[in-house]
Amino acid sequence: MNSITNAAIQTVKNFSPKYLMRNPVMFITECAFVLSIVIAVEPSWFGAPSGSGFTLFYVAVVANLFLTLLFSNVSVAISESKSKAISDSLRQLKKEVKAKLLVDGQVNEVTSSELRKGDLILIEQGDVIPTDGEIVEGTGYVNESNVTGESRPSRKIFGDSVTGSTVLVTDSLKVQVTSDPGESFLDKMIAIVESSKRSRTPNEIALTVFLSGITLIFLIVVSALFGATYYSGISPNLMILIVLLIALIPTTIGGLLPAIGVASINKISQYNVIAKSGKAIENAGDIDTIILDKTGTVTMGEREAAKFYPNKGVDYIEFVKQCVMSSMDDLTKEGMSVVKLGKKEGVEVSREEMKNYEFVPFSAETKSSGIKSSSDEIFKGALRAMEKRFDLSDIYIEGLCKEISLRGGTALVVVRNNEFTGVIELNDMLKPGMRQRLERLKKMNIKTIMCTGDDETTAAFIAQESGIDEFVANSTPMDKYNVVVREKEQQRMVAMVGDGTNDAPALSRADVGLAMNNGTQAAKDAANMVDLDNDPTKLIDVIFLGKQVLITRGSLTAFSIANDLSKYFVIVPAMFTMLPQLGFLNILDLQNSIVAITAALIFNTLIILMLVPMALRGVRYKPSSIGDLLRRNISIYGIGGIILPFILIKVIYSIMIASGAVW
Amino acid sequence: MSTGNGSFWGNFFLQNRLVSGAIIILIYIAIMSVMAFLLSGYIKKLYLGESNLLDPVSGRIVAFFEKLFGENKDKTMKFREYFLNLLLFNAAAGVMTFLVLYFQNFLPFSAGYSHFTPSLTFNTVTSFLTNTNLQHYSNPLQLTYFSQTFVITGLMFVGAGTGFAASMAFIRGILNDKGFLGNFYHDFLVSIFYLLLPLSLGLTVILLVFGVPETTSSAMVLHVLGGHGTVTIPLGPVATLEGIKNIGTNGGGFYGANAGFPFENPNWFTNLSEFVGYTLIPLASIFSLGRVFNNKGFSNMLYGVVMTVFIFTTFMTFFGEYTGIPALSTLGTLYTGNMLGKETAIGIAQSSIFSTGAVFTSTGAGNSILLAFTPVGILGVMGNLLLNDPIGGVGVGIMNLFMFVIFTTFITSLMVGKLPELMSLKLSSREIKYSTLSLVTHPLLVLIPFGVTMLLPGLIAGFPGTRPDAITSVLYEFGTAAANNGSEIGGFLTNQAYFNYIDGIIMLLGRFLLIGFQLVIADSFSLKSPKVEFGRSINPNSFLYGLMLFTVMILLGVLSFFPILALGPFLSWAHDFSLWIGVVIH
Repeated sequence: MNSITNAAIQTVKNFSPKYLMRNPVMFITECAFVLSIVIAVEPSWFGAPSGSGFTLFYVAVVANLFLTLLFSNVSVAISESKSKAISDSLRQLKKEVKAKLLVDGQVNEVTSSELRKGDLILIEQGDVIPTDGEIVEGTGYVNESNVTGESRPSRKIFGDSVTGSTVLVTDSLKVQVTSDPGESFLDKMIAIVESSKRSRTPNEIALTVFLSGITLIFLIVVSALFGATYYSGISPNLMILIVLLIALIPTTIGGLLPAIGVASINKISQYNVIAKSGKAIENAGDIDTIILDKTGTVTMGEREAAKFYPNKGVDYIEFVKQCVMSSMDDLTKEGMSVVKLGKKEGVEVSREEMKNYEFVPFSAETKSSGIKSSSDEIFKGALRAMEKRFDLSDIYIEGLCKEISLRGGTALVVVRNNEFTGVIELNDMLKPGMRQRLERLKKMNIKTIMCTGDDETTAAFIAQESGIDEFVANSTPMDKYNVVVREKEQQRMVAMVGDGTNDAPALSRADVGLAMNNGTQAAKDAANMVDLDNDPTKLIDVIFLGKQVLITRGSLTAFSIANDLSKYFVIVPAMFTMLPQLGFLNILDLQNSIVAITAALIFNTLIILMLVPMALRGVRYKPSSIGDLLRRNISIYGIGGIILPFILIKVIYSIMIASGAVW
Repeated sequence: MSTGNGSFWGNFFLQNRLVSGAIIILIYIAIMSVMAFLLSGYIKKLYLGESNLLDPVSGRIVAFFEKLFGENKDKTMKFREYFLNLLLFNAAAGVMTFLVLYFQNFLPFSAGYSHFTPSLTFNTVTSFLTNTNLQHYSNPLQLTYFSQTFVITGLMFVGAGTGFAASMAFIRGILNDKGFLGNFYHDFLVSIFYLLLPLSLGLTVILLVFGVPETTSSAMVLHVLGGHGTVTIPLGPVATLEGIKNIGTNGGGFYGANAGFPFENPNWFTNLSEFVGYTLIPLASIFSLGRVFNNKGFSNMLYGVVMTVFIFTTFMTFFGEYTGIPALSTLGTLYTGNMLGKETAIGIAQSSIFSTGAVFTSTGAGNSILLAFTPVGILGVMGNLLLNDPIGGVGVGIMNLFMFVIFTTFITSLMVGKLPELMSLKLSSREIKYSTLSLVTHPLLVLIPFGVTMLLPGLIAGFPGTRPDAITSVLYEFGTAAANNGSEIGGFLTNQAYFNYIDGIIMLLGRFLLIGFQLVIADSFSLKSPKVEFGRSINPNSFLYGLMLFTVMILLGVLSFFPILALGPFLSWAHDFSLWIGVVIH
């Protein structure tokens, strides 16, 4: 109810000429509307004929012009009230809360608005997190449902960012504040959603210029007609000239253009993605290259142990036992899956057996993890790292690893006391539906590049399996940046997903940078879109949406211009009925000229109303090659735009005549 | 199978003049296409600055002049400097020729001539400077030989050379990404000495062989049989003027009747030569685009689109003229179509294609009187004019065409969900803005003065009573000025201060405003580097793209004039098919 009232108020506000100045097509329509009222009230001032028939006609014109403006305004108002609803609900989250500021280890109670960037705060179980920050100490579960809509609390550890207004449900955290008041993520989101109606994208501006040019031509054509009719000794009815002008200028696209832009921002919010600008959405539609991470984007990212391969001369059960022992305290997904698979094979290790061992976690230097006792050590890690660390080489083991890589698996080599004892095969599953999605990208002529820390062979396998065009194996975050730069140097539009601080340079360089909400603050700042659900594959949906926005604009423009052809053949012969020789232009055979002109105007108004849903929803978009898409849209909106008005105007005319309108 | 008087086929073509006319038109189109195609490789070399066979001669002359003026191609300019130099150079040429023309009675070869009025001088200078060559004077009767050679022929070179230089800058803008458009003076000299001079010399020789006069001797005076006074036929440097007039898509002519006068156009072969002459560079430039951008499909698409326009309008004119005037046909005489105002040696088909061709390019030369054309015939000619001359003048033609291409690319790209991109360069709102301005300028320059003039019927009092033909003629008058075309329907006194000044201003704006807008676009392009890989965006070589380009040209270019055309040619067409048969007033 509230949003309807809002929309209604906005609709009325949008009639203001100052607002409409931004949209020349609608501004001209409004001027024509005002003029038409004056003519309708006092036709004699303009030498326009009066009489009951004409009065009806004048009223019809005034009503139609009003409806044209109204439909345009309503379409914008509906979109805007939607974004207002979003920003209002966001604003409600932004309440003042108590914060526990840490000064020299002492807790000071302050309000959240007093916090500054760099402050250290304490958050305890049940506290509302007062503002954005990064965890410097502690681990805990945070309920972010009021920002993301995800009801399951997410686990936050050292280095993760937390968002203001979310709630800590377990443990306690020390957090360093990363934003000043008014600059928090929530503040930015509110500002973005609210500004979507004000700032226009470059493409929207270009289209507005284009439409203004066309409008100007028709304005001059109709004005010049005064001279021509004056010379010819005929005095055309000014009201008919107004109808001619309004019918010829692209009111359809002109009226719906603002709504399309606002609707795109709303639609992307429905995906739970916050776009920092409408431009980012348009860019998304034009993407040439997309850079994907393998783990978590292309694949499930949960690598599980699939099989054990002991080295020559090593007993199978003995090898499995080693694997299980080395993974007992390894709480990574890989580690836990090794223990699970061992259990399946009938191997269990008791705590007693592990008593003398100490767990050595994974580190960046050793690139391996394992267990160690005074007399024994078992480590597991990637082949190359292990060979280097222990200075080993074994053709059999290398063969096994190669074989596993070729299957797309990851090989984990086990070394006991400086000897290879075998290989564990880890499998990573392609995300369900990924193949189809990538296929659709290919149809749209988009190049996909996958970055992965895996070796060449694994990367190649996954790339082939999923239909990725190009891959970068053994990649570091720097490589990702280099790929972006390389593609940008070739003037391609690049999209990428990132979450870490070291992704930030690449994210800001890319045309579309989608950051994950659980990523670091730096990544979120650098990106131009943030996904609240942390689903990297959403990038593909965003691309679809971007294309849809552009197609909607282009198709409606083509449709609007194509419509003009029919109007020439309806209005021109009807306005020159005093020159019966021009009857040959009246190819629709509309005998009553005033009714014919009214029918053309009614068509012009109705078509806007009919297309409002399309403007808000976007035209149907099926990923296909550019040629097919062009063929399809030209036939529907171009050729359809030429034929449809001929039919509809004739139908409207017939209905009017049948219902006894003889003006 | 031969009949009594001549062969079967001879009779067939004599009796089926629709067929023979159509075949003549198709032969003209084939020859013009082949000739343009042959020249396109050479033009590509000029665009890319590659060495070519004229280097030993033209290269030296260009080098000589460059040394003289202290300019060379290494002194490359950015947009502002390039355009400023272009304007200054043209302004200097304009002022100089204005003085010559105004004081022509004090200069050599001026016996018996008086000076022009200021308004006529202004009109004539702007007209020839802007490659329009609209003539509000009656040539040999009012112009001295010195003026003919220095002002008219001189400005014909300046106008065409400037146009080609601008197109060289435009193409350089697309090709480079450092912001440089080249050196205007170098480009101008190359245009003159590598392109215009050699080609017009060639055409001059052909015309000389077929008897077009080239002399400084005074007029020929003939005594009419029967003794009623004398007839004066002026002679002069006709052939040289004709050469550059056609090659430079200038138009106008030495004689008032232009190519309708036997001394300018003695027979069918010179008619064909002149036609090929003025379509040569504009069409070859289109073909050369394919070679320059290494994308033949693009130039083929453009050729297909403009040829569709040309074939359609030419046949429209031809059928209009062939059908003629119903009122005369019903008289039952042996009626041969509308031969009014046409040279019998040339005939309807060759007059039709010559007239549409002159407006298809920005030449505006005429071998027949447009005033005596049927309304349908005029519609064919005027369709081209309203499109701002589809392939335009030397150089500027491809730039105008590019404006439509940018428009079309913008819409079609959006239709497939891409941001617009042309020649692998992203189109930003700046390019869209200036291409919109370019395309809006033409109709505005035509329609604003048209609307005003129609409110002042006293200015067009030459028409007896109110006639739709007058609307056609006035629309055409401003159309020809805005498009820098130069052909005219007339029917009213054009040499009035009002028309002289207004046309002059329109011509200047239609020329330099557009070149300015288009060079801004070149400037934008020159700052962008191309995307590697073709074909990821909309494919401008496809049939569908061509269809869209054609539709955009027709819908936005021609049909926007529909309501006014209804009161002009449509009305006279429907009205009584009558023509205004009158005297050409000058």
